[in-house]
Amino acid sequence: MDGKKSFQVFHTHTDSILDMNRFSEDDFQKANDDEKRSMVQMHKSVSFWQDGWRRFRRNYVSMGASLLFFVILLFAFIGPLFIDYSYEEQYRSAQKLAPMQYSEMEQMARDLLDGGVDGLYATSTKAGSLTAIRKGDWYFTVKGKTYAFHLDKAIEKATLMCDVEAEDPVVIGKDKDWDPEAKAFTETTPLETTDTPAEGAKELVLDKGVFPHVFGTDSQGRDLMARCMYGSRVSIIIGIVAALIVLVIGALYGSISGFFGGKVDAVMMRIVDLIYSVPDVLIVLLLQVVLKDPLQHWFDTSKSPLAVAMSSLGVGIVSIFITFALLYWVGMARIIRGQVLQLKEQEYVTAATVLGASSARIIRRHLLPNCVGQLIIQTCLQIPSAIFLESFLSYLGLGVSAPMASLGSLCSDAKETFLLFPYRLLFPAIILSLIVLSLNLIGDGLRDALDPRLKN
Amino acid sequence: MDLAVYILKRIVVSILTLLLVAAITFFLMNAIPGSPFMTEKSTPEQIALANAKYGLDKPVPVQFLNYLGNLAHGDMGVSLKMQQGTSVSKILFGQGKFILSIKLGLLALFFAVLIGIPLGVVSAYFRGKWIDSILRVVTTLGIAMPGFVVATLMLFQFAVALHWLPVQSDSLETPASYVMPVICLALNPLCRIVKLTRTSMLDSINQDYIRTARAKGLKTKLILFKHALRNSLIPVITYLGPLTAGIITGALVVEQIFHIPGLGNYFVTSILNRDYPVIMGTTILLAVLIIFMNLVVDIAYKFVDPRINITKKRGR
Repeated sequence: MDGKKSFQVFHTHTDSILDMNRFSEDDFQKANDDEKRSMVQMHKSVSFWQDGWRRFRRNYVSMGASLLFFVILLFAFIGPLFIDYSYEEQYRSAQKLAPMQYSEMEQMARDLLDGGVDGLYATSTKAGSLTAIRKGDWYFTVKGKTYAFHLDKAIEKATLMCDVEAEDPVVIGKDKDWDPEAKAFTETTPLETTDTPAEGAKELVLDKGVFPHVFGTDSQGRDLMARCMYGSRVSIIIGIVAALIVLVIGALYGSISGFFGGKVDAVMMRIVDLIYSVPDVLIVLLLQVVLKDPLQHWFDTSKSPLAVAMSSLGVGIVSIFITFALLYWVGMARIIRGQVLQLKEQEYVTAATVLGASSARIIRRHLLPNCVGQLIIQTCLQIPSAIFLESFLSYLGLGVSAPMASLGSLCSDAKETFLLFPYRLLFPAIILSLIVLSLNLIGDGLRDALDPRLKN
Repeated sequence: MDLAVYILKRIVVSILTLLLVAAITFFLMNAIPGSPFMTEKSTPEQIALANAKYGLDKPVPVQFLNYLGNLAHGDMGVSLKMQQGTSVSKILFGQGKFILSIKLGLLALFFAVLIGIPLGVVSAYFRGKWIDSILRVVTTLGIAMPGFVVATLMLFQFAVALHWLPVQSDSLETPASYVMPVICLALNPLCRIVKLTRTSMLDSINQDYIRTARAKGLKTKLILFKHALRNSLIPVITYLGPLTAGIITGALVVEQIFHIPGLGNYFVTSILNRDYPVIMGTTILLAVLIIFMNLVVDIAYKFVDPRINITKKRGR
């Protein structure tokens, strides 16, 4: 259509075309800045990353999933700073609490604080944490006077109460004096006053109040939310490290196989085919069993920094890494090999070869950087599958073992008492599902954004 | 001729894979330090005696060859711990474990395929509509949820809270006891099949032959089910191999949760108890199932789509 039009123009206005050859003086002036600028191409060149980011940003599902994953990351890594409980400490009297429930002792401290106690001191506590109170002496300051209370077994049968307005502000009510109808104690004993708190008693931070067990506690009195935070941290780290292992081995193996081609490729790919057809989960289960004792032995005897570093991870996690290094790189290797097979025919590879670059350099500097899209996509999709596998193993009792916790092992711990305390399984299970879900969606989004084959 | 060579080649590869699995299993089992007879009470003499009795005193490669030879006769050795003295093949086949797991697995497979494919077609047909959105959300969730989460959630909701279904399925005597285990096993593969079918349906709907069929004035239903579906089933068929593996994996957890005395449950227990012959026997049996399914799929693949170049490797 366009061509036809200009054809007609050419024929009907031959004179005006000849006019173009007539120049005036002005035509030979230097171009000013504005005119120069108009010659500059209007589009900025879009790099691979900018293009990918643009596509990814437009994908609302993946953006939402990224946000969700970010929140989970905050929960897992920053969250522990904001709660008073640690994942391994067993808080006595705080066992088997439902979500948002307080143990008796914590409840009492709360009531005292609500009743107007000015300062609360206790011995043998972690500073600022009311739940760390076990046994020892409590001190209250009310209206300038200090009251002492010895915390012992009697606490199970008595309740401390505080009323600032009364003559004796702090009183103890015994359970046998409890009148259920009036909802009050028939008889209460005032607490004695002392001069100063005992040495070593720390003041508990009042404005902090008592931190609730948001997810409840387990049978050993460990705070479930702290354990979930810790567990998701472990699970996410396992997923990322396993994916990195797969990335390194798969990328190297695949690029070497693809680059050298011929017999090398044939042999290397037969090995991949064979490993690929081995039923992985069965072998993973075996490896988990088999690796346990030799690894433990190695950790116990070897003093090399590697063994020390690994032993801090625990046998279960290390054997998960080993299984990934042995079995799970084949998918990555196949994809990278396919990419490299295409890329190595490109001119720049020929140019590099002619310039005398070694094979290692070509793979490192030219081939792998050009596979980066695939590398990222595959690594990102490997993370949730590693987390999935880890939770599966831990659930069967093979992966992460106590005192460490992962989301899978938390679920596994909760399965025995599931019918009584369903929330103990629910919380880690939901977090686990959310992590896998968000990572899957992010991976899908990355594939749409970075895979050049899907353009157009 | 071409096809015969191909099938033969695939069978050889399958047997090689199986040998590899057997070798890996065997040598891994032998890498475990300590003897299965080691208890607090046993003396070194007793252990040596027991080792000699079960042939564990010979060099490992000899033991392996012996094992393979016996395996060829269907003799998988005897259980050393869990049912001391009972032959492994009797434990696996004679006590109803295998049949139980197979029943469960086949049902799950059946439902996953039978429900998954139509849902995938529906999802593709109504692309962008609300029904497609719902299906996509549900399938994405179904893939993200580990089997044990689904199982325990269902258990709590339908058995404990609503009392509709039994808490323990045991030996699957009543039809109601099948419901939850089968759903739990089928859910994940079902969701994957829905996704797979949807994608490949959308692929084939955009093909020229569909446009031709439309131009000829064929009814949408006919185009969808006769022309589009047939060609989009090919990726679904290739998925049947991994699907079998997935169901077997799922069975390990699901059988445990629902207290079904099947192969999966026994396998996990034998691993935790380190009963070598039982672990090996079960591993090899399950590996045979998976490898056999892969073989069948590869051959079926060739029949379904004659265009496929048999020497070409299919992607993961």
